[in-house]
Amino acid sequence: MDIRKNKFYKAWFKDAWPYITGAVLLSVFQIVTLATTGNPWGVSGVLANWGAWFVELFGGSVDKWYYFSSEGAQATLANGFFKDPGTMRNLGIIIGALFATLMASQFKIKKIKSKKQIIAAVLGGLLMGYGARIGFGCNIGALFSGIASMSLSGWVYAIFLFAGAYVGSKLLVKFFM
Amino acid sequence: MAEYELDCMGEACPVPLIKAEKELLKMSVGDILIIQIDHSCAMKNVPEWARKQGHNVELEEVDDGEWEVVIEKMK
Repeated sequence: MDIRKNKFYKAWFKDAWPYITGAVLLSVFQIVTLATTGNPWGVSGVLANWGAWFVELFGGSVDKWYYFSSEGAQATLANGFFKDPGTMRNLGIIIGALFATLMASQFKIKKIKSKKQIIAAVLGGLLMGYGARIGFGCNIGALFSGIASMSLSGWVYAIFLFAGAYVGSKLLVKFFM
Repeated sequence: MAEYELDCMGEACPVPLIKAEKELLKMSVGDILIIQIDHSCAMKNVPEWARKQGHNVELEEVDDGEWEVVIEKMK
């Protein structure tokens, strides 16, 4: 039997899951995260810690950096890479995404089409990373976790997220069309 | 009945969709547009948009992570 024609293979691995399935799963994962780790779900803050551990790997220290000066941040860094729940979560996202694309046999290393793409990706990444840190979160930590915790800041974040997306899409049309 | 091709390999969303939209404006009714894509969200949003516009759409998976969206302009 051809597995590609199997309806369970198609529903589970080949076709994209419906938005509602994703929404329910994200909510369940948020609850599990809060219940087991005591903190709401965050993604980009973990990446900042990865950066700090990377610096420490080469003998550097971030102890004097304002961003890492809080007791909580110092404790997380002292605990180490492999004992951080956020690290496990982010690794899970990366491995899970790879697993999903391999199961759907849609893995492909895409070619870079133009220098513009590199510049836009680097600039966009830096802006998003910097913005997420001074905004105390990305669209997971500040938006999703914020709104899920009944925090007004999540909604404020949403308004400015839309404003940013509007400007971003105008720039995209201007530079990439 | 002309056939048009649009190479959107390596282009991320929503670039393939906007390019398809522009290309379709240049075409006459009955013309065929073949869009090559390798961004999985484009293989959802390009056919979805074209069907909503009332065009005939077919989606073909040509290789791992590569698709061709074939649109027949209907109006």
